[in-house]
Amino acid sequence: MKINIGWLYPDLMNTYGDRGNIITLNYRAKMMGLDPIVNKISINEPEDSISKMDLIFMGGAQDTQQEIVNEDLKIKGSFLKKAINDGVPGLYVCGAYQFLGKYYREANGKIIDGIGAFDLYTESSKFGDPRCIGNIVIESKLFPKIKLVGFENHGGRTYLADKNCAFAHVIKGYGNNGEDRTEGIFYKNSFGTYLHGPILPKNPELADYLIKKAVERKLVQNVGVKCDRPFKLKNIDNKLENKAREFVIDKL
Amino acid sequence: MNTILILLGKIIIKISQLLNLGSGSTWPGHVALLLNSKFIEQIIDKNKKMKIIVIAGTNGKTTSTALLKFLLEKSGHKVLTNNEGANLLNGVASTIIRNCDEFSKLNYDYAIFESDELNLPLLLNKIVPDKILILNLFRDQLDRYGEVNTIATKWLSALKKLDEKTEIFINGDDPQLYYIGTKLSQKVQYFGIDKKLMKLKDVPNDVDSIYCPVCLSMLKYHELSYAHLGNFYCSKCNFKRRDVFDFSKVKINYPMKGLYNVYNTNAVLLLLGIQNNKWLGQFTPAFGRQEEIVYKNRKIFLLLSKNPAGFNQSIQTVSSMVKSKANFLIILNNRVPDGLDVSWIWDVDFKPILEVANNIIVSGDRLYDLNLRLKYENTKNKIEAFEDLSKAIETIVNKTKVGERLYILPTYSAMLEVRKILLGRKLL
Repeated sequence: MKINIGWLYPDLMNTYGDRGNIITLNYRAKMMGLDPIVNKISINEPEDSISKMDLIFMGGAQDTQQEIVNEDLKIKGSFLKKAINDGVPGLYVCGAYQFLGKYYREANGKIIDGIGAFDLYTESSKFGDPRCIGNIVIESKLFPKIKLVGFENHGGRTYLADKNCAFAHVIKGYGNNGEDRTEGIFYKNSFGTYLHGPILPKNPELADYLIKKAVERKLVQNVGVKCDRPFKLKNIDNKLENKAREFVIDKL
Repeated sequence: MNTILILLGKIIIKISQLLNLGSGSTWPGHVALLLNSKFIEQIIDKNKKMKIIVIAGTNGKTTSTALLKFLLEKSGHKVLTNNEGANLLNGVASTIIRNCDEFSKLNYDYAIFESDELNLPLLLNKIVPDKILILNLFRDQLDRYGEVNTIATKWLSALKKLDEKTEIFINGDDPQLYYIGTKLSQKVQYFGIDKKLMKLKDVPNDVDSIYCPVCLSMLKYHELSYAHLGNFYCSKCNFKRRDVFDFSKVKINYPMKGLYNVYNTNAVLLLLGIQNNKWLGQFTPAFGRQEEIVYKNRKIFLLLSKNPAGFNQSIQTVSSMVKSKANFLIILNNRVPDGLDVSWIWDVDFKPILEVANNIIVSGDRLYDLNLRLKYENTKNKIEAFEDLSKAIETIVNKTKVGERLYILPTYSAMLEVRKILLGRKLL
């Protein structure tokens, strides 16, 4: 089965090693017996290319790059919002996560509109407040048996309209805002999060969740899928992934 | 006052050497600056005859400083440098204390100070160099230095404040640094490399400055060398590289391998004068940077690899050196000098190493992250992980035949550990 993975702004939203998430999705989808295709969608690609994706990823970047992307999202944003609302699974990290909220308030009070796919807003840290930097450990109801680990590095503080929509609860680190112990958002089949590391290699459960949701959607909609049900995905040996995660958590 | 600080500092150095607390490369300066915040500028002011050169950039500072020092000494000058690991203000102050007499006299013709990314503006607040060399600007230890744009903005305002007489030498192939050069009123000269050496086809992943600093459109390249370095131009506005000295008409026998060292060498030659290239053949690289150490009759090639652009250059260099197959030890630490965040290893392209590797061992504080990174390159290579670095070294050495070359790629703190194990002594 072909899985179209859309990688949004790979040349711009790629400052913090987030490419590892694409490498992981691609690798694991292949191991499961799927046929993943990574589609790079940046400012030169047509906006409706987003509509053809089965799974979407976008990473974090510096302010200037985000300024360029923000301009482009004025066009592509509605397609992205529709994909998210239609239940296309996606992962949006750091800067991308902030973009999908309602707005970002800069330190000087200036408001930058987001695309409003997630019911949240972000404020620049108040003068003198440090960036939220460090290792972070979280737990999520979606993955009850494990703790997830990553590294966060963000100035903005994000506030959810409904804290029950948080992706996870912070055990160690800052998370959304360093105050309410929430981390990220989970909406339809999309995840917003501050976790770099990157998040997927050491937390393969989340990678597999996204891939499985993409497969499920294809089967339900039966869009261009030629296969006999039930569709069985191959299991992957996660010994090294678990070892890497536990080794880091033990050190913290 | 400063006489007392100098004597006190020299005593601290002696004591820390006697008690084996390290070589005292930062403490004496730390104390001096605490008691007199103007210590550095006051001493420099008393040594007006000594010319000052400052070297900054993400990668290549130590190599360029060593090469510049070597060439200046070859032409008979006395040269003062701050030791590596001492490129913050307290390190500069310590270097001064160690090398001046009690009358604040520094008996040198030149002082070369290398400065880390964050300290450059602080250092330029204190001293006005005769020349400044800016090598490159890549993403590095984002949790410590911050993002590239933030650093570039700070550098620009620090350079703008400098004396008109300061000569500035900038990498003209780095779009953001070139842009900084165009905003300065001082004399700016740009170095580059021969475009015949620029062989990269597509813009790689380890780039930051690939959009036009003037109009924010994506830049295009006639030729690309590595990361975001190359012969760039903007197709929307008229921002493009001009007057870059590319050394294409000069015959140079480069003393070190790798494209990044062509840049470092050209940078130093532009600053010093091209006629100095006759001595290049006698230069041996700074420690840990393409350093060859013979250990148990194996030739160990040690290449510091500490950020995506640098690591990718190390990989390009070693993969071109290996004739058939070779053994590799890769070490990933995440201590303060390495940066705590190891996400950056996913911006490194390991494939060229995997293609020429026989045995690969990984070690370091975050060895399993590294192991996972290599696994996800879809490799058939068997990769072994050893938490104990000594054991990792012994194992890979035993797997290497006598007389064969073994490649070690460590992050910064790992490089110091490796040298300690191989050479049996502490260097810094």
